[in-house]
Amino acid sequence: MASGYILNRGVLTLGIHCQRVCRNVSLSQVREKKRWMKAYTYLMAKKLKLEGPPPPKPRSQKPHWDYHAEVQAFSSRLHENFSLELLKTAFINPCYLQAELRRRQGLGVDSEITALVLKDNIQLSERGVSFTKSFLSDWCRASFPILPRDGVESVVRHLASSAVVTDVARNLGIEDLTMSADCPVPDDVLHSTFMAVIGALTESSGAEKTGLFLRDFLGTQLIGKDLFDMWTVVDPMGLLVEELTKRSVPLPEPRLIRSAGASTVLPLYFVGLYSDQKLLAQGPGETLVAAEEEAARVALRVLYGYAENHRPLDFSPLQQHQQPLIQSISGN
Amino acid sequence: MTARGTASRFLSSVLQNGVGRYVCQLKRVSIIFSKNAQSSLGVREFIEEGVVDYAKKNPATVVYVSPQSCRIPKIVAEYLNGNVREELVTSKTSPQISELLTKLTNQSGLDIIRIRKPFHTDNPSIQGQWHPFTNRAPSIGPIRPQNQDAE
Repeated sequence: MASGYILNRGVLTLGIHCQRVCRNVSLSQVREKKRWMKAYTYLMAKKLKLEGPPPPKPRSQKPHWDYHAEVQAFSSRLHENFSLELLKTAFINPCYLQAELRRRQGLGVDSEITALVLKDNIQLSERGVSFTKSFLSDWCRASFPILPRDGVESVVRHLASSAVVTDVARNLGIEDLTMSADCPVPDDVLHSTFMAVIGALTESSGAEKTGLFLRDFLGTQLIGKDLFDMWTVVDPMGLLVEELTKRSVPLPEPRLIRSAGASTVLPLYFVGLYSDQKLLAQGPGETLVAAEEEAARVALRVLYGYAENHRPLDFSPLQQHQQPLIQSISGN
Repeated sequence: MTARGTASRFLSSVLQNGVGRYVCQLKRVSIIFSKNAQSSLGVREFIEEGVVDYAKKNPATVVYVSPQSCRIPKIVAEYLNGNVREELVTSKTSPQISELLTKLTNQSGLDIIRIRKPFHTDNPSIQGQWHPFTNRAPSIGPIRPQNQDAE
């Protein structure tokens, strides 16, 4: 009996031993050692290399998404009272409607039974564009009263340009809420959505609040911007002469005031502009022409009140409580 | 690793936040926990006590509470600039989680790396970049190579 048991045990251990030595993976499964893992990760890495990363998914198709709550949070995040209906309309782009209709047709859904009752944001967007243009030009004229019309127009064009507006829209979380046909939302769609949001705000809270909104989010983008980055002036000297004749100041006289390393690869010239024997401005440059142009630009910046050291623009919120306070003091 | 080797950035804000009006940068918070695991005890307690108050106090943030069968409960925070942060809250107590959420709410969502200086300006120099004529009176004359004087 006992010998039989021992023999049995010996055979068993031998069997286990054989399995461990055996090379076939599926037969030699050992507990807590995932031998399939290496092959699997290798395969996945190879697949990733061949196919590239998967296409980006819109946030609304990922888990944890409640559209109504998101829209409400968007409204309160910006401290505005949007009417939610209008705001939801503002996020629906015509390209999304077309794509959705096509998708439904492809699925074989009858368009009469389940009609797509959604309004697109074209009207709101148009309204937003016109309001933005008019408000920004008023605001720029008020903040830079000496700047000529061309300058104001180019500043407004810069602020309402696609690059600035899409940057603002992306950082305000509009991209997630936008209903668009393509997944990384294209710039023009994002631009029109932002304008539609502005249009919705005009309709729900009035022009004054929308103006403050534009000032707070688009106006602040002017901070640290140079005037001539936004406004391309080909001939600054001509413009300076024009401005000075308008103000009946003697014409500027360029003089070379300093130079160094004229025969080297890094020459440096300083040109000063004198008007009536007073130094208007001086500017550096690698050639005499460049230095003179730079000096003219410096002089123009000072003339227009857009130098680097100009007084910061006023972005403080409107103080509504100031008026009654003054009245109560005077009443006492 | 030395300070030069680590990633760093300047002090900055998203979209000049706070110049016009302050916008809370945390747009979405998902609290992922298990209904019966020991490690999610504190999270469950927080959800019973504090999550509704938090959501009422921060209407700008959408709070998702999702029970899943997981061993490691976590808080996933999504920011307006697109950054996503995952915080593990394994066996943390309710006040600790509330503190963590407050911290996440107040952050800007920019990468948390070494900030080079605690202040930043776009115009670092008031008198401008140095050039050979800085602080040099115009009467001194042109700048020449040094060995000319020696000869």
